[in-house]
Amino acid sequence: MTLTLDDDKIEEAIIGVDQGAGIRIRVGERQNFANANIADADDLMTLAARAAASVAEDTETERVQLRPDDVPRTHDVLVDPRTVPIPRKVALLRRGNDVARATDPRIHQVTVYYGESIQDVVIANSDGRYRTDTRVRTNFALIAVAKQGEVLESGFEAIRTSRGFETLTDETIDDCARTAARRATKNVDAEPAPAGTYTVVLSAEAGGTLVHESVGHGLEADLNLRGMSVYSGRIGEQVASPLITVIDDGTDPGQRGTAALDDEGTQTQRTVLIENGILRTYMSDRKHARLLGIPESGNARRQSFRHLPICRMTNTLIAPGESDPAEILASVEDGIFVRKMGGGQVDVVSGNFAFEVTESYRIRDGRLAEPLRGATLVGQGPKLMSEIDMVGRDLGYSTGTCGKDGQGAPVADAQPTLRIPSVVIGGR
Amino acid sequence: MTERLANDAIVDRAIEALRRQSAEAEVFLRDSATTSVEVKDGAIENVLARGERGIGIRVIDEQRMGFAFTSDLSTSGIDECVLAARSMSAVTEPDPDLRIARGDTDEVDLGILEGVCDRSVEQRAEAAFAAERAARALDARVTGFRKTRYHDGRSTTILATTSGARGSYGESWSGLDTSVIASDAADRQVGSHARASRRSAEIDPEAIGRYAAGIAVGKLGARTLATQKLPVVLEPYQAMSLLGAIAPLFSAENVLKGKSLFAGRIGESVASASVTIIDDARLSGGLRTAPFDGEGTATRQKTLVGSGVLQGYLTSLKTASRLGAEPTGNARRSSYSGPSRIGPSNFFIQAGREDAGALVRDLDRALRITSLLNLHTIDPISGEFSLGVAGDYLERGERQYPVQGITIAGNLLGLLASISGVGSDLTFGGAGAGSPTLVISELSVGGT
Repeated sequence: MTLTLDDDKIEEAIIGVDQGAGIRIRVGERQNFANANIADADDLMTLAARAAASVAEDTETERVQLRPDDVPRTHDVLVDPRTVPIPRKVALLRRGNDVARATDPRIHQVTVYYGESIQDVVIANSDGRYRTDTRVRTNFALIAVAKQGEVLESGFEAIRTSRGFETLTDETIDDCARTAARRATKNVDAEPAPAGTYTVVLSAEAGGTLVHESVGHGLEADLNLRGMSVYSGRIGEQVASPLITVIDDGTDPGQRGTAALDDEGTQTQRTVLIENGILRTYMSDRKHARLLGIPESGNARRQSFRHLPICRMTNTLIAPGESDPAEILASVEDGIFVRKMGGGQVDVVSGNFAFEVTESYRIRDGRLAEPLRGATLVGQGPKLMSEIDMVGRDLGYSTGTCGKDGQGAPVADAQPTLRIPSVVIGGR
Repeated sequence: MTERLANDAIVDRAIEALRRQSAEAEVFLRDSATTSVEVKDGAIENVLARGERGIGIRVIDEQRMGFAFTSDLSTSGIDECVLAARSMSAVTEPDPDLRIARGDTDEVDLGILEGVCDRSVEQRAEAAFAAERAARALDARVTGFRKTRYHDGRSTTILATTSGARGSYGESWSGLDTSVIASDAADRQVGSHARASRRSAEIDPEAIGRYAAGIAVGKLGARTLATQKLPVVLEPYQAMSLLGAIAPLFSAENVLKGKSLFAGRIGESVASASVTIIDDARLSGGLRTAPFDGEGTATRQKTLVGSGVLQGYLTSLKTASRLGAEPTGNARRSSYSGPSRIGPSNFFIQAGREDAGALVRDLDRALRITSLLNLHTIDPISGEFSLGVAGDYLERGERQYPVQGITIAGNLLGLLASISGVGSDLTFGGAGAGSPTLVISELSVGGT
């Protein structure tokens, strides 16, 4: 269900059901996949017959005994959002709208979203695996638009978790609304960011787009099977500064990318991908774990029953280091402080990545100076990861929807305050 | 066993149930089937037969809108969807401009449905292999592929309202995309390209493979550039990507809510005089061609920017009513599972008269862009953009060396105003957007 408040009005209320199944048959290294809507067992048998038609008739068959088992939950959902009356949800939208508009007279438009989704999955395979999972996701997001003269700027903030309605309190809503409004109003009278090469401090508050784009995608096992990633064939090698440890953790309680199982039914886990700069393993599904000879890491994810599972991130982070975040800022004479990152993209073959900066400030003499308008940072993953020379002892999360091969997946990313000695910033 | 209904019967059942509820409502059904064959380096990796079938019901009750969707098309699933849509209308607030369509849509052949074309998995794979072979034949430095995919599909769309409007159409498409990897001793690069068409015979696998290979090989040995201001050459595929980012500025929804830089600017100059932007959902065989939009409004061609002057917005029934204008038929449905959103159909910059090559030769120094990173982060509200780019550094049209790890930045309004050259090579891409080669007189380039 999603509810939208826009232009001071509850404008949309949408509810829906999607139910179906996907069947995947492996023949050698070829995967045959078919899906359909499923209303009952007859539909499932029809789909199975259609999927089986892709396999030669003389293939030997055997009956498999399914062995249901339970995998421990990563956390409890305290308040199932379906049990919360709709007027309470509407009240949250109005509260967010009111708080954002009251922040500054230049706030001239606000859009607020509430979304809840409950995904029930059953995964069964010919090894006898039979597991079920229920994934609850509760989302709240707010876009504030500020206007000054002819200049329009928007600010965004969201609360997106795998917990229930308990995460949406008056305090968290107020904080979300004020943050979005601050980003919009700060940007309307900010100077454009400069263009060129600068020292950059990424605040922990900025979120984790950097680790997601510059390292994460390149460590997905499917991209490493045939040497397509800059990290291919480099397990055991130094691929980053010794200050850098990168972890993907599908069990991180309540985070947006968390689930007990991946979409092949493999239990999720905390996987150390890079340890003190040394590449340890990749994020795998069953196929690529087998082909690469690495452990299954529970990273096979699919958008829905209409998609094939592929290797992808869950909650990915750079582990905290030892530096005091204040000292990192104070160490920079002239540079850019990034307080919030937006979306990003990477070309995994060359390692070139770009990510958006949505809130930033000039650093002068170790202190925050004037605010700057948005810009993109670009670099090359392994190069940047070997150049980072200070890692803070803090850690900040952000959430997003990662796109890969046309499928979206809910993810979280996190990193501590980082100092990058020199990186290209795309201002004007 | 659950009762199974055909598409028309599903829509009929929903409309009857809605009439019994005395609700004003619209029912949208889409039933689509696609087949994809994914190959890599000459071997089939995945064969996917995907189907998607469902309904979305929009109820307007006392001018309040409720929406529900389902892929459970059993009789009970349909009935529950009707009740859910009705109950959601109680949550929203009234809007006097909400409308549903009245009257039937016209029957017109727009060249979007190919006759029977049943290809085997092997024939589909062969198209993908042909693209890979052509890529390898172009240059010995082509060393592999991330993925090559041939896909085709067809779908049926039915839209009906309780006020008696009803229309349906069928459509089909085919497409091929590939990501080519090129390597030399010092570097490795990727080049991607995708084409799609309403007619499978129009897909030219060899040309797609060669184009992607050319991008990958061309980037080998790329260096950075010094930070500076430079004229920028956008080839059609890059230009249409940026044009796509401009589309939300034309949305009447954004205009009415004060979220578009084009608000209040009809009749004013918003682009260089050489720029004419057209939206045409009736373009024969276009990838976004359809006889009616997601609310049942008949589509039509319109000039949005004529010789640089803003002439109109893209509207839905609701926004047209508020503006006191005729709806343009741009309430688009990407799926049954959401209400329509205003968006462009076949959306393009009209071809200019100048040869693209001649335009480029006129520039002493220029950056030609072949890849853009982070397009999805362009903010249509502020119009600000800052993107990672790869391409070629040119002098008098001659390529000097490839570049990457640099950025371009500006504002979409500034970009439109500084288009100094429009080529004659109008090309359409996968999402219905089209553009000729464009020359931007100057952009900020960030580098060393």
